[in-house]
Amino acid sequence: MLEISKLCAGYGRIQVLWDIDLHIGENEIVALVGPNGSGKTTLLRAITGMVHTKSGTVNFLGEDIKGKSIEEIVSRGIAHVPEGRRLFPGLTVRANLELGAWRTKDTNIDHVVELFPRLGERLNQIAGSMSGGEQQMCAIARGLMSKPHLIVIDELSLGLAPVVVDEIIQQLPSIAASGTSILMVDQDVDAALSIASHAYVLEAGQLVLSGKAADLLADPRVQESYLGVG
Amino acid sequence: MDTFLQVTAYGLLQGGLLALVAVGFSLVWGIMNIVNLSHGAFVILGAYIAWEMQSWIGLDPFLGMFVSAAVLFFVGYFFQRFLINLIVNGPVFITLLLTFGINMILIQGMNLLFTADFRSIQTSYGSNSFEFGNVRIPLVRLLAFLLAIVITFALVAFVKRTRTGISIMATGMDRGAARLMGIQARHVYALTFGISAALAGMAGTMIATIETFDPSKAGKFTLMAFVVAVLGGLGNMYGALVGGLMIGLVESWAGQYLSGTWVNAIAFLVLIIVLIFRPNGLVGKAFYAARVEF
Ligand SMILES: Nc1ncnc2c1ncn2[C@@H]1O[C@H](COP(=O)(O)OP(=O)(O)OP(=O)(O)O)[C@@H](O)[C@H]1O
Ligand SMILES: [Mg+2]
Repeated sequence: MLEISKLCAGYGRIQVLWDIDLHIGENEIVALVGPNGSGKTTLLRAITGMVHTKSGTVNFLGEDIKGKSIEEIVSRGIAHVPEGRRLFPGLTVRANLELGAWRTKDTNIDHVVELFPRLGERLNQIAGSMSGGEQQMCAIARGLMSKPHLIVIDELSLGLAPVVVDEIIQQLPSIAASGTSILMVDQDVDAALSIASHAYVLEAGQLVLSGKAADLLADPRVQESYLGVG
Repeated sequence: MDTFLQVTAYGLLQGGLLALVAVGFSLVWGIMNIVNLSHGAFVILGAYIAWEMQSWIGLDPFLGMFVSAAVLFFVGYFFQRFLINLIVNGPVFITLLLTFGINMILIQGMNLLFTADFRSIQTSYGSNSFEFGNVRIPLVRLLAFLLAIVITFALVAFVKRTRTGISIMATGMDRGAARLMGIQARHVYALTFGISAALAGMAGTMIATIETFDPSKAGKFTLMAFVVAVLGGLGNMYGALVGGLMIGLVESWAGQYLSGTWVNAIAFLVLIIVLIFRPNGLVGKAFYAARVEF
């Protein structure tokens, strides 16, 4: 459903991404890993139109969305859970979720509360006053409100306790199965590769490895650089 | 005592109008971080539009103000959509410069179109008034005051309760995240500016029914809006109401009991004193004024 080819992108005149090729299929979970500053966030931003794309194509559901505005891309069915979560801190959880359904106007929250029951107990709480884990759940739930075809999640586990991370990651397969493919970026390479079907390794703005997640998990280069093995 | 009550009543009535002048100014500042130096020009433009409506087709100013509001809404919307949006991410200094320029153009435009002569809007009921004990309340001032209060509350309800209003708040809190929801930030900004200008236009019409106006008064209203908005709490709509009433009262008392030169400075004196004790204003900053940018 998402087919990126030969994508070059960056900030102003500074080019960060070089000739990126990436593919995400229906109901698939894809992980994107790499060291700090390698361009993972930039790639997610390039997908949703938040950074300038120089060349290449971003094909989503059969149409090139490269160069389109954020609003336009989002309304075609890509949700972006940004780095730092970026909830609307002064609004309630419910208001945050309803804003997630801005383009579809379908404010039924049942399907996301089912995924993250904790949110159901906190609908009237001010989003900024929740714990980090709850905020991440809320951010993902907000992204899922519009029932997107694809959700991209940046730094899923950053700063969260392992228990909470597990709680969130456990739900990813059922999200994917229900028709929302997932592209996730995570520091926790082990966790990301365990849950994903395919994975890409980004270094200095270029893809250096890609393939089945299980194969990468067993790859000595990945083990050495990211899993502290060997 | 009677004089004091009379002066207090006038102050409160005047304060309601100041609140209406300031509430839109404060909203624009809170949501977009724009200090709109052309706000006072919008107030005066609203007064002229209602004046012209009355002289062309005899439209009562309390109906004419809706025409002012509609015209000013479009003026504000287009200024923001096609001009201010271009530089809204820039440093505050740039937006100040641009709105200063818009202010000059509007004022000179009004001078050319309407001349610089003083005008005011006369009505058949303009001299009617009530007596409460020994306090005299002019009907027009009371009407204007009540409308100002109602409109301020309506604005708060709109922003906090409606889908569009919540999108305005969300965009004010985090524009990038709002865009990721599919909210068209450029449109929301333009809408916010349009609403602010519309309220200024209504305020201007009501002011024109109780005092004279001419293009050179624009600066005074911008300054008043600034003082009231900061006094009440940046971006806080109830704050604008409280701040407006306070400045109205203080100016009215000062006009009665202090010598002329003091009157001009008193609003600032109050502002400074309040900010020493409550740096975020009387009611406090609006929570969406603590924005995130990328
Ligand atoms: N707003 C920006 N303007 C200019 N350069 C930027 C900007 N944001 C990021 N960069 C640069 O782009 C490169 C890639 O950054 P990016 O944030 O995409 O990396 P990342 O892989 O997400 O890193 P991390 O793991 O730390 O989140 C870095 O060299 C960074 O300095
Ligand atoms: Mg990053």
